[in-house]
Amino acid sequence: MFKLLKEVFRTGNVTVRYPFAPLPASPNFRGKPQYDPERCIACAACTIACPANALSMETDTAAGKRTWQLCFGRCVFCGRCEEVCPTGAIALSPEYELAVMDRADLYQTAEFRLASCRVCDTPFVPKKEVDYVIALLVHAGLPEAEAERRRAVVETCPACKRKNDVPRVGSLGPLHQMGMIP
Amino acid sequence: MSVSTESRRGTGYVAALRQKLPSSVLDESWQTAEQATITVTREALPEAVETLYYGHNGWMSVVVGSDERLLNGHFAVYYVLSMEGSEKSYVVVRALVPPDTMEFPSVTPKVPAAVWGEREVRDMFGLRPVGLPDERRLVLPDDWPDDLYPLRKDAMDYRLRPEVTTETETYKFINAAKSETTVVPLGPLHITSDEPGHFRLFVDGEDIIDADYRLFYVHRGMEKLAETRMGYNDVTFLADRICGICGFTHSVAYASSVENALGINVPPRAATIRTILLEVERLHSHLLNLGLACHFVGFDTGFMHFFRVREKSMELAELLTGSRKTYALNLIGGVRRDILAEQNLRTRQLIGELRGEVTRLLDILLSTPNMRQRLEGIGRLEKQVARDYSPVGPTVRGSGHHRDVRIDHPYAGYGSIPVGQHVMDGCDVLSRTLIRSQEFFDSITIIEHCLDNAPPGPVLVEGFTYTPHRFALGYTEAPRGEDIHWSMLGDNQKLYRWRCRAASYNNWPSLRYMLRGNTVSDAPIIVASIDPCYSCTDRVTVVDVRKRDATVIPYKEMERYCRERTNSPLK
Repeated sequence: MFKLLKEVFRTGNVTVRYPFAPLPASPNFRGKPQYDPERCIACAACTIACPANALSMETDTAAGKRTWQLCFGRCVFCGRCEEVCPTGAIALSPEYELAVMDRADLYQTAEFRLASCRVCDTPFVPKKEVDYVIALLVHAGLPEAEAERRRAVVETCPACKRKNDVPRVGSLGPLHQMGMIP
Repeated sequence: MSVSTESRRGTGYVAALRQKLPSSVLDESWQTAEQATITVTREALPEAVETLYYGHNGWMSVVVGSDERLLNGHFAVYYVLSMEGSEKSYVVVRALVPPDTMEFPSVTPKVPAAVWGEREVRDMFGLRPVGLPDERRLVLPDDWPDDLYPLRKDAMDYRLRPEVTTETETYKFINAAKSETTVVPLGPLHITSDEPGHFRLFVDGEDIIDADYRLFYVHRGMEKLAETRMGYNDVTFLADRICGICGFTHSVAYASSVENALGINVPPRAATIRTILLEVERLHSHLLNLGLACHFVGFDTGFMHFFRVREKSMELAELLTGSRKTYALNLIGGVRRDILAEQNLRTRQLIGELRGEVTRLLDILLSTPNMRQRLEGIGRLEKQVARDYSPVGPTVRGSGHHRDVRIDHPYAGYGSIPVGQHVMDGCDVLSRTLIRSQEFFDSITIIEHCLDNAPPGPVLVEGFTYTPHRFALGYTEAPRGEDIHWSMLGDNQKLYRWRCRAASYNNWPSLRYMLRGNTVSDAPIIVASIDPCYSCTDRVTVVDVRKRDATVIPYKEMERYCRERTNSPLK
C-alpha cells in the first residue's frame, strides 16, 4: 500500500490537455496524405500501389479528362503512394485529425486534361505525363529537337502504335521478326 | 524449390512415417530446410497425424483446406505439425480429397487439437471429415446457405453476403454436465472490444460445471479478400490488421511465408529490424494484459498505472514505424524503414524508462495479497489437456510445456539472439501472468541486444520473380503464442490460397477445461488469462440447471462481480 502511494505521488498528474492543447505526433508519423496537384502527372502509380483502394483514377475519354481521387475514409496511412510517386506529389504528413462533419469532405479530387492521339485523335494520356516524359528525355541528355521529334511517338495511343508497327514489322526479314538480329 | 539434402531438418520424422506406414506415403517435398510436406493416402491421414503428434512430439499448428481442383483436380487438406522432438521442424501432412465424395477421415478422434481446423474446413470448403465428433458450424453463421462454401474457387465474389434468412440462433451449445446446471451466457457484443464472442457457462450455484462458446460473429473474410483482390505486397498491410494488438507479427508471418516459398533471403539488417519491432509489440501487448489482470482482480489503480506506462511502448512504435499500432513496415523481401542513429538513442532511453517503471509496478502488483489469492490455482489448464489441444504462448508455457517459436523454429533475427524461456508448472492464471511479466523484461533485453548488434546493409531485396503455386509456411511467436501463415502463390499476381491462423485460435478450444470447476466470479479472469483476441464477452447467460431458467446478466455486472465479489448477480 505504501509503495503504491509512493508511486502515485511520484507520478503526479499525467493527463494531457488535448484537445485543448496540441498533441504533436512524432516527426515521422504517417498521417494524412498531403497532395500537390501541381506536381502530379496523373501517371496512376499510386492507385496501383494503394492496398486499400483509397486512391483511384478514372478516365473520361468523351470529356477528355482524367480524375484522380483520394478517399481519406479508406486510407490506411501506409505511405505506399509516397514511395512509388515519381514526382513527389504525395507525401504523408504528421496530421492526424481527420474527422469531418460532411462525408463529401473525406474526398479529394484533381482533374487532368488528356492529350489526344496524333493518329486517331482520341484522348488517351494526361498531357502533363507526356511533357514529363519529354523533359526526362532532355534531362537524360537527348538533344531538345530529337526529344520533340519523339513526342509524336509518345502521343500515339497503343492501338494506333500497333497498327503503325504491322507494316513496318512485315517489311523486315524473318530473323528480324524473331528478334534474332536487331 | 530445391533444398539441399544435407541441410534438411526433420528427415527423421519423414523416415519414421515411411516406416510406420510404408505403403501410404505417396510423396515428399521440401519447401525449406525445415519444412517438409508429406502427401499420404486419404485413409492413412489420421494415423499419420497421430504418429507425428503423439509418437514424435508434434503439436498441431493449423489445418489448411485448399481448393486445388484447378491444379490437380482435387481438394487438399494440410495438417501442419510443429515437431518439437529431437529435431525442430515443421512437417505438413497432406491428403487429397476427391471432389465427387468430398470426404476424408477425421483426425479429431485421434488428435483432439484438429477439431477447430476440421470444423472450419467443413464450413469453408464443404469437405466432410468423417467421424468428426463435433459437426456444428464454426465460422459460418446459422443462416448461411447450406451449399455455399466461401473459399471454393468457384463459390462467390468476395463482396457478396447472402441475405439474412433467420434471426434465431440455431447453434447448439454443448454441456457435459451430468446434473442440472444454470446457463450463464456471456456476450456476444461488447462495446469496448472489436470482436464479439458468446460464452455459455453452465453453473450449479456459483460453480462452473461446463462451458461452451461461440466466436466468429464478425468473420471478416480476409483470406478470401486476399485471394481475390490483393497483390502480394498489399497483403502485408492486410495482415497488419488481423489483430488490433499483434498485427505486425502477422505481417511478418505472412511476408516470411512468401519469402520461404520463393527462397528469398531477407537482408540481415531487415531481419533485425523486424525482430526489434516484434519485441516492441510484445512490450505493449504484455503491459496491456498485465493491466487487465489488475483490473479483473479489482486493483484499478494498478490498471491505470500499467496503461500509463504502456504509453511509452506506444510512443516507441510511433517513433520507429510512424504509427502507433499498424506498423505497416513489411514488404516481401524486407522492411520499408531503417532505424536511424537518433531513433536508436531515443529507443534506448524509452526502454530504460520502461524497465524501471515496470519493475516498480510489478513489485507493487505481486506484493498485493489480493493478487495471489485471486489468481493462484484458478483456471487450471492441466498438462495433459494442454498436450491434447496444442495451445500456444504463455498459455502452454504456464502448463509446463517448453514451447516458443522463437526458440524452436528461429525466424527473423532470433537465430542469433539469446532468448530466455520461461516455463511454469502452476497451470493456473498466476503462472500465465508471471510468465508474461518475465517475458516483458526479456523483450527489453532482446531490443537492446538487437540495437547493439544490428548488422549494416540494405533493408530490402527487390527484383525477384514470383513462381506460381509454390507454397510454404511463415511463423512467428506473437505475444499470445505461435502465429502461423500458409501461403500458396498464384499465377495472377495474387495468392492462390492464404491461411492465417492467430494464436488465440489454438488457445480457445482448451478454455473450456480451464473454466470447469471454477466459480462464476473467476470467469472473466480466466478468459483474460489467455489474453484472447476475440475480443470480448459482453453479457453472460446464466442457466440454472436446477431451476431450469436462463437469466441474462450484463457483462458489466459480471465484471463488477469479478472485481468486488459481493452481491452475486445469480441470486
